[in-house]
Amino acid sequence: MSEQNNGLNTANEDNTPHPNYWRSFESLYRDPKVIEAKAHEFKEGVTDDFSPSGMSNISRRKFFALLGASAALAGTACTDYRDKGEIVPYNVKPEEITVGKPNYYASTCTACPNACGILIKTREGRPIKIDGNPDHPVNKGKICAKGQANILNLYDPERIKAPQKNSSLTFNEVSWKDADNEIITALGLAGSDEIALITHSITSPTMLKVIDDFKAKYPTAKLYSYELFNDSIKNSAWRKTYGSGNFPLLKWDEAKVILSLESDFLGTEGHKVETSRLFSQNRDVDSKKFTRLYCIDSNITITGINSDYRLHIRPEAQLEFVLSLANEIAKKGNITSAISASGYDLNNFAKKYNLDSKILNYLVSDLIANKGKSIITAGNSLPENVHIAVNLLNDALGNKNLYRTDSSSVSLVDHSTIEEFEALVQKMNAGSVAVVINIDCNPVYHFADDLGFEKALAKVPLSITLTERLNETTAVTHYALPLNHNFESWGDAKVRTNVFSLQQPVIAPIHQTRQKESILLSWISGKSDSFTEYLYLTYLKNNWEKNIYPTLNSKISFDKFWLGALHDGIVKTTSPVISYGAANTGSFDESKIEIKNPEGFTLIIKENYSLGDGRFAHNGWLQELPHPVSKATWDNYAALSEKTCKDFGLKDNDLIEVSVENRKLKLPVLMQAGTADNVIVVESGFGRTNSGTVATGVGFNVNSLLSSKSNLSPWIYSNAKITKTGDTYLVATTQEHHVFDDPLVQDLHIIRKIIQEGTVAEYLKNPSFIKENNEAQLPSVSNPYPYNGVKWGMAIDLNKCTGCGDCVVACDVENNIPVVGKDQVLKSREMQWLRIDRYYSGSPDNPKVSIQPMLCQHCDQAPCENVCPVVATTHSPDGLNQMTYNRCVGTRYCSNNCPYKVRRFNFYNFRDHFRDSYQENPILALMHNPEVTVRSRGVMEKCTFCVQRISEARADATHLKRNLKGSDVTTACQDACSSNAIYFGDINDKEEEFYKYRNHELGYYVLEELNVKPNVTYIAKLRNIHSEEV
Amino acid sequence: MNNDKNLYCIAATFNTPDEIINAAKKVSGAGYTHFDVNTPYPVHGMDDAMKLKPSKLGFVTLVMGLAGASIALLFMYWSLSIDYPLVIGGKPYFALPAFIPVTFEMTVLLATVSTVVAMIMLFFQLPNNKHPLHDTKYMKSVSHDKYGILIETNDDKFDEKEVENFLKNLKPLNIEYIYYPPEETYSIFQPKFLLLLAGIALVVSGGTYFSLNKLMFMTPFNWMMDQAKLIPQKGSELFEDGFGMRKPVTGTVARGFVPYPYKGQVNPTEVLANPFLPTKENIALGKAKYDIYCSPCHGYFADGDSRLRGQFPNPPTLHSQRARDFSDGMFYHIITNGQNIMPSYESQITRDERWAIVNYIRVLQRAKNASDADLTEMNKEAGSNVAN
Amino acid sequence: MNIDYSQETPLIAGRLDLAQIEELIAQPMDTKPDRKYYIALSISVTALLIGAVSLGLTFYYGIGLWGNNQPVGWAFEIVNFVFWVGIGHAGTLISAILFLLRQKWRTGIARFAEAMTIFAVMCAGIFPAIHTGRPWMDGYLLPYPNQHGLWVNFTSPLLWDVFAVTTYFTVSLVFWYVGLIPDFGSMRDRTTSKIKKTIYSIFSLGWRHSNRHWSHYEKAYMLLAGFATPLVLSVHTIVSFDFAVSIIPGWHTTIFPPYFVAGAIFSGFAMVVTVLIFVRKIFDLQNIITIDHLEKMNKVILSTGMMVGYAYSMEFFIAWYSGVQAESFLFLSRAFGPYAWAYWIMVSCNVLIPQLFWFRKIRRSIPLMLIIVIFVNVGMWFERFVITVTSLNRDFLPSSWAYFTPTMYDIGLLIGSFGFFFTLVILFTKSLPVVSISEVKAVADGAQPTHHGGAYHE
Repeated sequence: MSEQNNGLNTANEDNTPHPNYWRSFESLYRDPKVIEAKAHEFKEGVTDDFSPSGMSNISRRKFFALLGASAALAGTACTDYRDKGEIVPYNVKPEEITVGKPNYYASTCTACPNACGILIKTREGRPIKIDGNPDHPVNKGKICAKGQANILNLYDPERIKAPQKNSSLTFNEVSWKDADNEIITALGLAGSDEIALITHSITSPTMLKVIDDFKAKYPTAKLYSYELFNDSIKNSAWRKTYGSGNFPLLKWDEAKVILSLESDFLGTEGHKVETSRLFSQNRDVDSKKFTRLYCIDSNITITGINSDYRLHIRPEAQLEFVLSLANEIAKKGNITSAISASGYDLNNFAKKYNLDSKILNYLVSDLIANKGKSIITAGNSLPENVHIAVNLLNDALGNKNLYRTDSSSVSLVDHSTIEEFEALVQKMNAGSVAVVINIDCNPVYHFADDLGFEKALAKVPLSITLTERLNETTAVTHYALPLNHNFESWGDAKVRTNVFSLQQPVIAPIHQTRQKESILLSWISGKSDSFTEYLYLTYLKNNWEKNIYPTLNSKISFDKFWLGALHDGIVKTTSPVISYGAANTGSFDESKIEIKNPEGFTLIIKENYSLGDGRFAHNGWLQELPHPVSKATWDNYAALSEKTCKDFGLKDNDLIEVSVENRKLKLPVLMQAGTADNVIVVESGFGRTNSGTVATGVGFNVNSLLSSKSNLSPWIYSNAKITKTGDTYLVATTQEHHVFDDPLVQDLHIIRKIIQEGTVAEYLKNPSFIKENNEAQLPSVSNPYPYNGVKWGMAIDLNKCTGCGDCVVACDVENNIPVVGKDQVLKSREMQWLRIDRYYSGSPDNPKVSIQPMLCQHCDQAPCENVCPVVATTHSPDGLNQMTYNRCVGTRYCSNNCPYKVRRFNFYNFRDHFRDSYQENPILALMHNPEVTVRSRGVMEKCTFCVQRISEARADATHLKRNLKGSDVTTACQDACSSNAIYFGDINDKEEEFYKYRNHELGYYVLEELNVKPNVTYIAKLRNIHSEEV
Repeated sequence: MNNDKNLYCIAATFNTPDEIINAAKKVSGAGYTHFDVNTPYPVHGMDDAMKLKPSKLGFVTLVMGLAGASIALLFMYWSLSIDYPLVIGGKPYFALPAFIPVTFEMTVLLATVSTVVAMIMLFFQLPNNKHPLHDTKYMKSVSHDKYGILIETNDDKFDEKEVENFLKNLKPLNIEYIYYPPEETYSIFQPKFLLLLAGIALVVSGGTYFSLNKLMFMTPFNWMMDQAKLIPQKGSELFEDGFGMRKPVTGTVARGFVPYPYKGQVNPTEVLANPFLPTKENIALGKAKYDIYCSPCHGYFADGDSRLRGQFPNPPTLHSQRARDFSDGMFYHIITNGQNIMPSYESQITRDERWAIVNYIRVLQRAKNASDADLTEMNKEAGSNVAN
Repeated sequence: MNIDYSQETPLIAGRLDLAQIEELIAQPMDTKPDRKYYIALSISVTALLIGAVSLGLTFYYGIGLWGNNQPVGWAFEIVNFVFWVGIGHAGTLISAILFLLRQKWRTGIARFAEAMTIFAVMCAGIFPAIHTGRPWMDGYLLPYPNQHGLWVNFTSPLLWDVFAVTTYFTVSLVFWYVGLIPDFGSMRDRTTSKIKKTIYSIFSLGWRHSNRHWSHYEKAYMLLAGFATPLVLSVHTIVSFDFAVSIIPGWHTTIFPPYFVAGAIFSGFAMVVTVLIFVRKIFDLQNIITIDHLEKMNKVILSTGMMVGYAYSMEFFIAWYSGVQAESFLFLSRAFGPYAWAYWIMVSCNVLIPQLFWFRKIRRSIPLMLIIVIFVNVGMWFERFVITVTSLNRDFLPSSWAYFTPTMYDIGLLIGSFGFFFTLVILFTKSLPVVSISEVKAVADGAQPTHHGGAYHE
């Protein structure tokens, strides 16, 4: 063809000459045929020859040129690589550490005076998780929410990192040397003036010895110890009745009947972890062993929601009640107790406070029928005479044999009385106190204002606070000296007669902190440079070698003994069998009985379940842990009964002013069903004024209502008043306020079989009464996926679950769950993977409460999976419903389609959003579990059944060349549950214990009719009420 | 008409639809094939008047529609059941009902789009703005409110005079000669254009570089690459030494790691006893670890024949009487503690593995110093094997 | 078009010849915009900017800025999406179905309706894209080969949406564009300005009004209409699957597909009428978009409105009849629960008020019909709100219930979407023929030969 073109080209010379290589092209276009073809439009269809030159040629050529250029250069842009950081290995790897595998250290928790044994999980020498020490005889491998969340205190960005000197309200860092010098000289010059050491309860014998040495060195030193909430009344009552010792430990697990008077033994009183374990052993569907719990109290507590019968009376009436009860028992069972309080009649009492006399009769007959197998326990906050009466009644009922004889609690130092503190304040005012040293305590916040401690403190020449973070007390003291955290310190503890517990650090102090004992020791030595890293360790070892080891008459050498003790974390000792003498019948002084008929309001101040007395206020996880009963977070409030609210025209979130005598406090109202009328229940621990970003200004400081002159008791005040302010204040709860009067939503949880319950009698009559009304399994059109091998499942025993919420915090820690803050909780965007649902049924006056831990049910036919457009959530071959975070784009469709609403969505980057990116602080990266992804904004997340633990177990099994077994894995919530309500394991393994619960006759699935085939079984709760009740 | 102009066609315009229909009938009747009618809107009966065959467009639609359906269905089957099967909500891998909607949509999409594309590009040969008709008086009038007919020069019967007369007889409004536009010649290498090329190239590369390597890693973009957690062997500037991995505090005891009691002693008076029996598995483990950690210096058979070619002093053989008289605990002690220039291996070899190695060393020693008794023993076993 | 146009009442009021028709339609494009136009434009652009700001902030901080919460994972964003997709239905439906049904009166409104479809679908398309937590990862919704070796989940209704909406958009666009090509041709040949000419030439692809093209063209148009019709129905069916395929009470109902389609046509027509009323006034096209057109559309609104009403009642009946507690509870809670206000707005706007269209007077009175159709628009938005939010905020477990309250960003995005829509509409009216020139010419009287060259067969 080209020749022809050339021929033609020569024909018309008039063309401008072209460079050769264009010749053929250009000429091609000059070919008339082609020109025609180009304009040729009469095509009969595709069949005709179709030449691309039909389209404008030159623009196309340019287009390709541009395209080429762009593409080529776009390629050059993809050349940069982001720096992924350098690898920093150990230069000498310690023997115990295998990179990527955790180590465990036995230690002791100092979060509260119970001093539980803990097992600290570390990764590459950094603590990341706390569990109970399984070898510890008291808490048996379990640990409460505070202990779990304690890890956050260690990495808290707002710990003070170096000694602070307070010069006219501005803190500036000073070196330890300077601080020590000044303090030591001051101590030396104290002369005859007192040196006051103020501390919480001392649980460490060695610490006590340090104090003694301190006293030896500085003779004017005096130790004061206190707890805002304590059992001193109970103990003094006990001494009045039985002469000596403390109130004994109880055999909760053997009690047939428990009567709790204003006592929250499953919550804030005593050793919660131990008590709930023993209590739940006694509500066991397996051994069909069930205790019966009566609660007579003024406000609904964890104990209250777990009771079989509950009546509420105002605390003032408790004494009258006990006396009437004693009489009734004396009458009915002719059991004569030492309380000859005739003239108190139970029926009259019932009428007076319109209580259900039927229940009272049950109570009386049960107590009589179960002589020696029942416990009557009075709350710490009740006045002494109630306790004495209760002791005598127990004595009369022969319940003494439920007092434990193998062990009793030990208090190394008795708390100082209020009189002692008043004396101290006087001395401080008089200027006869040279130095005040607050050892890891916050008296300015805790002490009643009318004690005047704060003002007096200002008069003291030198005041020092040893603390982990700034607080109300450091604000008014001259020095704030930074303390080691629990996990950076050495120590020991003795809180029970039969066991010592040892505390060892798992990480060297992160900041320039020292532990309180070494600080005191260096002051004792009188030389500011005497401090060394091992100062206290050597002291501790010596103390043990000299004083404790000999008493244990152990066979092995001390060095071996010491290493073994550290390894186990505990040393068991044999304590003599405790015997309880006869009760002093005279101890109850009838003449002292004055039944004051309560008028006005009764103010009850309680310890908050998660914040304690405020010690944990700065801990976001605990602030966000919903209140077990009211589900409120981030605030305290005045809990009022529904009737009281009606009477005074109050709604939720109304701001009222509570006043006792001349003390006033504004509080928001929360209508708490089951509260006694005309009772105001407020929890302590909030309203911190100087507690860092998290806690400052959260809630209301109820301690300002406290008085050093105790009313009914230091925590109960009669004749309180309330006035409406007209303002409102939103309290953030994780569950909508329950509506009792709307028939539409009434008892939905029962109608929908979310909660299935029965009674013990019913169960014994017909063990399969739950199974019978379960939904039939629907047939499937396609044959289901065969899950051979391990298939994970969970069973939750609602009989054991007390609803305390420890598991929630454990899950937070294990799975790097962020704190979202009050504003987001108000928008109901809390992130906890595991929540504890609370349902009321019955009357708002005295509701029946049902508790249900709700987490991802890992359904075999998961509705969430079908709807995810990007396969970010799918099913694993071992039956897990798994989330692929990196794949998730965040359509939230899965969450919409989840019937259990257990999925959680990162509406923000919460770490950044909460309190202007408080959680973005790099130090918190040390705390996060390295095995769990830190989720970004816009990603859906949910319970994974602790898949990281499953993979770890699988890896170990593979390494040991054996098959993975269900019992190899425990989930974080399971580990934390002190009442062992959670079972986890392999559904297919018939040998395992878990199998029994998975297929229990009381087992049911929530929303079974949806046929999503959940892998979480709930074991129906049985209430141990009288059969005629049903 | 001059030479360089190249006639394309002769066109006539009319005023009413009736006229144009009639004209079209005439022209097609006269046997012209390469003619066309241009009207502002489709005039009815025109296709018959022009003797046009019905359009074949339908076939494209049919084929592409079917293609769409099958492609969609096959792809879904392949991707979800063969390439990457996943259990989704307990559904079977090939969940046909759930695949119907997408199949339908793909059918419609391919069918319609390809129909239109085919029509425009294949049937109409569009886009073409260089056509001779464009910008002619004729074109302007027919796209407005007139009706036009034209006969092309490349019609076999085309003859300029004849056609002109033929059209005149139809009494049109007017007659128009339409010529090919003159061919322009282009050069791609105009400086301006090259400048444009360079500019675009710069913008494109700059843009891509910035967005791929910078923008994509600014807030709010988050790919969960930088995790707020310390993975093993990651540094941390929170500690002075920069180590993210910390050392345990001196004096602490981790679970399962009670410190070795005879640390640092050269010849401990007492040693630990071997807790492991020399089982097959244990010895296998021992061999594996021995070959990894010990053999480089001690040689595969513990003869002290190092494989390090004298870069490190050779250790003595382990078959010496002294070595054979060592208690198991002594070997364990040496591995744990090191000896002379042999360093401690406690951080590399776990405690159980150390005992396994000891057992394996015993095996080696035994093998090297086998006695006749052993031989007969072995024969006995062999014999028994034969017997079986 | 290939339709028998021998009919009495002229579709085009008054006697206009082809030139006048073209003048009339092209006039807005040839003249400079007046003040009214700029005012309208500035209002809509302001709205658009409000939306843009809300969107930008949302993109930067995350959708936490919205009111969505734990049970209510979807709220305004999806409500708006469904609402706009619904609006998007009238256009192609009017065009395609009426074309197939040989409804000649479509010519006056088809072009405009199609344009609105495209704009509405554009508005709709924004929301699924921005409602995700990590919008920069939206690419994951497309089945492209990637280094994960991972594909998309074809069993997810949300993915069906992706395909349905993109297909619908593409096809509508193509359908619209094909209709525009001849008009581009005419515009190209009539305009005097150089720039306009270039633009028109590019878009006209060099169309020559050739009859050999017309014959293919009509065939193609026929095929497109034939495909578009089932497509229209399928799209909202699939959108309804987003809800119907889930298991949430109030969503999990088989009535949804027809109910949604009816609702879509309902709202779509209402929106078209709303806009046409203004357009025909502003560009005095009363002669081409006649009152008869509007009346016919009002009739459609009336009938679809009643279909929707039927659906509402039937939902209740089934909820009760099924005996599913959660279902019956949900519907009671819709009517009497926390969102009762929304529910009753919906019922009154969608069912009660349209009943006025029974009266011919009202059907033909511009101000009245305007009020009514605006009510319908509001009502249909609330219908989607009721479906989406009230079902989620009270589902199975009472423990996880929570009330949804929109934030200013939710409102901002809603306003923004309207701004976006009307901005496009306003620009469209000035830049493209709002009525198909060639089609109207074709139906002008005297436009077709008086005696045909034989019966025409398609």
